[in-house]
Order: sequence, then C-alpha cells, then structure tokens
Amino acid sequence: MNPDDIKYHREHAWVRVEGKHATIGITDFAQQQLGDIVYVDLPEADTEVDADSELCEIESTKATSPVVSPVSGTVHEVNDDLADSPEIINEDPYGNGWIAVITMSDPSEVNDLMSRDEYEKFLKEEEER
Amino acid sequence: MPTRLTIIGAGPGGYVAAIRAAQKGAQVTVVEESEVGGTCLNRGCIPTKTLIASTEALEHVRNSAAFGVELTGEVRYNLNRIRERKDKVVETQIKGIRALFKNRGITLIPGKGSLLSKDVVRSVQKDGTTQDIRSDRIIIATGSRPARIAGFAFDGESVMTSDDAVQLKNVPKHLLIIGAGVIGCEFAFIYSSLGAAVTIVELMPRALSTEDEDLSLIIERELKKAKISLVTSTSVTAIGRTADGAVTADLSNGNKIKADAVLVSIGRSLNTEHLRLEDAGLTAGKRGEISVNDKMETAIPGIYAVGDVTGNLMLAHVASRQGIVAAENALGGDVRMDYASVPAGIFTRPEIGSVGLREHQARERGIEVKIGKFPYRALGKAHASGEITGLFKIIADAATDRVLGVHICGARASDLVHEGALAIRMGTTARQLGNMVHAHPTFAEGMGEAAEDVHGSAIHMPGERMER
Repeated sequence: MNPDDIKYHREHAWVRVEGKHATIGITDFAQQQLGDIVYVDLPEADTEVDADSELCEIESTKATSPVVSPVSGTVHEVNDDLADSPEIINEDPYGNGWIAVITMSDPSEVNDLMSRDEYEKFLKEEEER
Repeated sequence: MPTRLTIIGAGPGGYVAAIRAAQKGAQVTVVEESEVGGTCLNRGCIPTKTLIASTEALEHVRNSAAFGVELTGEVRYNLNRIRERKDKVVETQIKGIRALFKNRGITLIPGKGSLLSKDVVRSVQKDGTTQDIRSDRIIIATGSRPARIAGFAFDGESVMTSDDAVQLKNVPKHLLIIGAGVIGCEFAFIYSSLGAAVTIVELMPRALSTEDEDLSLIIERELKKAKISLVTSTSVTAIGRTADGAVTADLSNGNKIKADAVLVSIGRSLNTEHLRLEDAGLTAGKRGEISVNDKMETAIPGIYAVGDVTGNLMLAHVASRQGIVAAENALGGDVRMDYASVPAGIFTRPEIGSVGLREHQARERGIEVKIGKFPYRALGKAHASGEITGLFKIIADAATDRVLGVHICGARASDLVHEGALAIRMGTTARQLGNMVHAHPTFAEGMGEAAEDVHGSAIHMPGERMER
C-alpha cells in the first residue's frame, strides 16, 4: 500500500519532508521491479546531489539501477542498516528501508512531485504503454 | 657439437627457455641462485592463488546457508594449515620443474649468475665457489623483486613487501596496503577474508588503474562490499612507528592512518645490477631494463633477455613465451613475440580476465570503436552458482568489427578471457563471435551475448535496439 503522507518521483523514488530535511527511498513498485536487493551503494554524508540525478545505485539479483533523488541538496544522513541488510528495502520500502536524508537546498522542488493518487495513475499509464 | 646455451635464472622465463632449448638438442645449463620457478612459483602467482583458494573456501562456508547448507559448528580457519597447504603446493611444483630438467638433461647450477664476457657466465655459490661456464648463447632471465620505498624500515613483519605478505606469518588487525594495483588488491581480499581490517591507499584516481575503467568500478564496489576501505588519488609521504609497535602513515591529503602492519605494493624493481652487463658489452636502461627486439635479442649477438628484466609486460606467461622465442632464435630459428593478444588474470573477488585494448586506450589512439556489454546477473548459470556480480565487455573496431579488446570481471573470468585472446589473435569479428554457439548453461554464454550486444542484439537484455 502506497502511503499518502509522502511525495513521489517519476523515477520511482519517494520523499518524506520534515522541515528542510527530506527522507528518500524507493517505491514499492520499484522494489518489486528490482526483485531481491543484494547491495545498496550508499551515498556518503555531505555529498551534494541535484534533483532528478543519481543519488546512489542499488544492485538486485536482476539489475543494477540508479536511485534518482527527487530533490536537490546535501546528504545529511544515510541508513547504515542497509549496508549489511539491503533486503530491508524489499521488506519495508516506505519505512525501515529508507535510504538517505537530504538537507534540501530548494524545498519548493517538492511541489513538482506527485501525490499518491497521481503516482498510482502514472503507474497505470506506464503499464498500459 | 651441440650448441652450449646458458640461462641465468630459472623463473617462468628461464626454465621454459631451458626446456625448449633442450627439446631442440642444445646442451643447456641453468644458473639459479635460489629455487627453480622464480617469483611466480615461490613468492607470486602460485602461492597467492593457493592462499586465495583457502579464503574462497572460507567465504563459501560462510555463505553456505544461502545454498541450503547448514553448519552447526563455529567456522574458523587454521593459519598453520593454510600455510602448510601453500608450501606443499609450491614444493610439488618445484619438484615437477626439477624432474623436467633431469628428464631433459638440463644442468642446474645453484649460484648467482653474472657475465664475465659475452660468452662466459660465472656462477658464484653461497660458499664462494665459482664456476665459469663457456657458452655459445646466453639468455638472461633474472626477473624482478618488489620495489621498496627509500626511508621505509622494511622488517618483513610490520613493514612488508609481497614477498613477506605471501608468507602469511600472522593476520594483522589493521593492514594498510600502499598501492591498489594487482598485488595490492589481491592481498586486500586475502587478508580481509582472514579478518583483517584493510585500508588501501592508491596514488592513481582508481583501483587497478591499468585495467578498463568499467572493471575498476566493479572491483571498487566489491572492495566496499568487503568493507575494505580505498583511498584514491593519495600518496603515503612517510611511515612511522608508535611506542606500542603500531605503524603510522602520513597521507598526502593530510590524514594519518594507524595500522598494525603495512604492505608496500607499488611495483617491481628489475634484477640487473649484479649481472655485470658491461663486461659483456651491454648497458641497462633507466629502470635497469635490458632492451630487446621482438626476437628477444639484446644489443650483443648471442645474448638474449626474457621476462621482467626486459621491462616489458611483467607477466609469468609473457616471460615463458619470450623464453620460447629466445630459445628458438638462439638455436637458429626465426620466431617473434606478439603482445597484442596476451591475456592477463587478476585474482580479486571476483576475478578479472583482460586482453587487448581497454576502452580508454582505444579513445587515446583515436580508434573508433563499438562496445558490447553483458552483465553476469543476466546469466542463468550465474544465478544457479550464486555468482551474479560481474560484466563482460567487448571492444570492437567500428569500421572492421574486429575484436580489439575483451574485459571480463566475474567468476572464472581468467579462464573465460581466452576466447577473447583467440578472437584477437585470429582477427575474429564481433559478429562471428556472436554467431558462434555458446553452450548453455555456462558463464561463457556471456561472451556470446556481449558480442551480440556490440550490435545491439543481445537476447537477454531489455530495451535493446538492434541494428538492422
């Protein structure tokens, strides 16, 4: 079930905003597409990242895929639990499977992201294509 | 009367040259100051691969649950047994070479060889006994040794070269490795598996900087997965010692690293200083190398040089081939060295096999290329074996479609690369390679798919746009 208190990016990432901090993860759809996740190449703290660009890479048994950051800013914190247990993303993509917290440089970027309903509609359209 | 051929050094260059020359009827004498087999057999290729086999076994056992094999006891290793196994493997191989020598009637003289003139080799034994060997032809194959940094106090235990690290006297809690080349990376995985925290400091911007960049990226990530820390574009400016016996290293980026031991793996120095080359009319180059042409002839007729001393590709199998070329030519043949299709293996986890042009080399030379890639994780065999990390990469000439380079990182890469070596040697095109049937289920299927991918036609890749 996709939560409605977060915003969604078309590259299947999500953000949960608290003040100027945005927690980032990948969506349930993304983890299903990837299959069993075997490694998360976690970003380093203080790394700068631009919206719509690669934050880090995830390796699954099927593919190596970039995680795209929905917002611009600086990496404030990373989820170290993923280093030894990357499968947490498969189990709980919207909770314990969060990847990083970004200190946003332009919080208005969040306005460009999709709501849950918009994202689900987007997924349906993608599927039909 | 048979040709009297004297070879200085019984490493993979010298001993192979000796056997080939004996096969061709020469009267062969080999002067060797330590043991037959050289660095490769005594301190390099073979002992390290033996250690790697032990650490691979250890890793397999640690991951056994993933294969449905449950262990009920504690998993631990026995350092003495690992060392004993290594020594036994080396000893068996040494006996093998000695037996081949005996079988071929090759005379092995223990001693340090040097040139008295262009046709006399002097052997000096440890007890001072000398023997002068009159020779019609001479092959110099004295090899190389680990390069040392001046001012570092090498003691074989806390400040080591690869000669010491391979002895595996103990496993330091924290090992600092200077140099992320082939030797540094191989030892990083070995010591890490045995429980050492490993930090590698590398002067260049990436690990394994002579390999194709895509392969460096994979190994850098695998180092990360193994929790081996890699610091690139950084040098070690000084090494010190603390009162409690630890080693400290000052880095060019201002940081300081404290470790229990340091392994210096920054390259190799050539063993030519004690050869008295000038007495035979030869001079060594800036790095101590002996210049040769593609027939392995030096500037002095009748004297040949092979292996690391030539300052060329420092690989055991190159030395061996050069040894064969030198022996053939010394006995009236006309054989030449060809380096374009020489494959090389790096035994990291996973391993690397590479041959021919790297992508950046093709770019530097202005050659327009097409590139095919195929990931291990798209192979059924890789999943069945639990070895999904890796990549096949084929570089083909855009104009002729001929294969120019093959770079593989993944399980069995060092064996798989030989298909690429053959393709380069025979002038095979990527299309021909892709059209060749590769058996299923094997890792080699990745070669066929990567060759197909040069033209966008790999079967097991999503979203490929095929050339029509």
